Amino acid sequence: MSVISDIAAELADDARTAAMAPVESVKDAKYTLEGIREGRVSPATVLKTAGITLGAAVVVALLLFPLYWVAVGAFSGTGASLYSSSGIRLWPADPTIEPFLWVIGDLIVPSYRISLGLGGYEVFLQTPELTFLDVSQYGVTETSEFKRFFANSLTVAIPTVILAMCLIVPSAYALSRRQFIGRSKVLYGYVLFTQIGGGLGVALLIALYALFVQFGFNDSKLALSAYYAATAVPFNTWLLKTYMDGIPVSYEEAAMMDGAPSWKIVTEIILPLSKAGLATVFIFTFLTGWTEFVVAQTLLSTDNYTLPVGLYSLVGRYSIPWARFSAFALTFAAPIMLIYLFAQRYIEGGLSFGGMEG
Amino acid sequence: MSVVDSAVERVADSPVVSKDDLPLLLVLPGLFVFLAFMLFPVLYLVYLSFTNAEPATLFQGKEQWVGLANYVTVLSDGQFWNSMGVTWLFVATSVALKVLVGLGIGLVVTGERVRGKRFMRALIIIPLGLPGIFTITIWRGIFSSAEFGLANQFLRMAGLDSIAWLSERWMAFLAYNVTEAWLAYPFMVIITVSALQDVSEELHEAAMIDGAGFFARFLHVTLPSIKRPVLFASILTAAASFQQFLIPYVFNQGGPSRTNELLIVYGYREAFRFQKYGEGAAIMLVAVAVIGVFMMLNVKKGQLADGVDDA
Repeated sequence: MSVISDIAAELADDARTAAMAPVESVKDAKYTLEGIREGRVSPATVLKTAGITLGAAVVVALLLFPLYWVAVGAFSGTGASLYSSSGIRLWPADPTIEPFLWVIGDLIVPSYRISLGLGGYEVFLQTPELTFLDVSQYGVTETSEFKRFFANSLTVAIPTVILAMCLIVPSAYALSRRQFIGRSKVLYGYVLFTQIGGGLGVALLIALYALFVQFGFNDSKLALSAYYAATAVPFNTWLLKTYMDGIPVSYEEAAMMDGAPSWKIVTEIILPLSKAGLATVFIFTFLTGWTEFVVAQTLLSTDNYTLPVGLYSLVGRYSIPWARFSAFALTFAAPIMLIYLFAQRYIEGGLSFGGMEG
Repeated sequence: MSVVDSAVERVADSPVVSKDDLPLLLVLPGLFVFLAFMLFPVLYLVYLSFTNAEPATLFQGKEQWVGLANYVTVLSDGQFWNSMGVTWLFVATSVALKVLVGLGIGLVVTGERVRGKRFMRALIIIPLGLPGIFTITIWRGIFSSAEFGLANQFLRMAGLDSIAWLSERWMAFLAYNVTEAWLAYPFMVIITVSALQDVSEELHEAAMIDGAGFFARFLHVTLPSIKRPVLFASILTAAASFQQFLIPYVFNQGGPSRTNELLIVYGYREAFRFQKYGEGAAIMLVAVAVIGVFMMLNVKKGQLADGVDDA
């Protein structure tokens, strides 16, 4: 799994940079102070820089304040009046992780009794009960349906990824390396859809719903996965094609000279070299199924709600305090945000949006 | 020689598809699935828009062809024109807001004297990674009339009265705009920053030597150089605003009393709330046609497809 070790190396790099940042800025500050003392830098310039930087930092802080506010809310106690009307708190009133316990609920693997018939004898195996987290110990009696939504989301997202990868990888290879009839038309169509087709999903919803009902597919998580895979095809095919375009053709030529058949060139050269692109496409297709809301909400019944629909079902339910709602939302969104931002960075090198040369 | 072999040979000999086109087989499955879930529903939507389909009739196979009746009903409905008007107003105000915010933030995080710019830029695009439904439900909480509602807390801090954001027409509209701006600002900032970094240093220095101040330089050097990328971004984001569905839907279902139903919300609700699939389909198709024409005009006028044409 060299992708994972690559990612680990990058993360370590980031951590080092982050850890060194204060040291570096102290060095900078020292250098500036020396400059002032020796009269090389005028104090006015330094003050101006500091002021402007502070102003920029305030702008950034204001932009991200809603997220901070959600986090503060999620760690607050679940009183009915969470915030006194005295104003905005920068720190949770009564810090607690109770809302998160409500979201996650018990993590207990119940014990199973397995009986085996062995030629007249019967052997019973009793698996032990595994308790990872028992929230009732912390005074949380009723819990959210997060785990059920999570399981539903997984059963939608995993088939989406499998199907999408099966469709995307061969297309991307063919579009990147082979010439055939209609190639530029397919490519043009995919790019066009990527640019303007994003909102088509809701517009098509009526037809999609009617068709799914008539085929008996409504409330089928597998059919929903197939739909997600289909919508993921244009952008991700184009992305992977662009990535594969960056692999030098000379590698393949060398392998061809050595007499490698073309399938071997694909498995030994193209696929290993595009692993970062494959990882990115994997993440993007996974997130397609994991985060989509409108179609899932229309097609699925309450039992099959995925996480986004589950989150929406909590909106405006006054029995659910804001603290619990924020905790639910954060538990859903925080991992996605981290994965997404990392994926974005990881592909920066491979992805250039001008990479549309025939 | 089996039948299959001769069939392969015939295909190979045909002038349209040759043996060299075998890689097409690798592309076809993806294309087929994509078209099955995209093109086919489009055709079916067109069909539905010419029928009186409702759940009661459609799922029995008893829908009837009514010709253009749905389009006549929709286009002569005041509710539709209200939606159309609100949608374009939303496009205008939200795009203006997004461009201003994007440009403002872009200038701040590329400022010459600002330290730690890269760090700030990394922080600022965080909302890009958040799922839309998360962001929008959170902003609904911000504009909530309940005690935790952040917007009202700010008002109270400033000594003003609370506002029932989501049950007053123009306050709800304002809330839509603010949320849309927050949703889209990372995209606008990314485009603006990369455009600002391409502004020629030399022009700035020349202008400075000629004695131009900050605002004069911004007006005559920066703006003309970033005009094209920002225009491109605003056209893309205008299309996103036009198709906005989640914000009104999650905030108050396009209310109060249907005044703020953007076009897509209007079509959705006609179909799924009021069970008029035929009319809903007609509304959606009109919306798609309008945005299609709008995009085409912009692409033609702004020559935006330059980069794609040689594909």
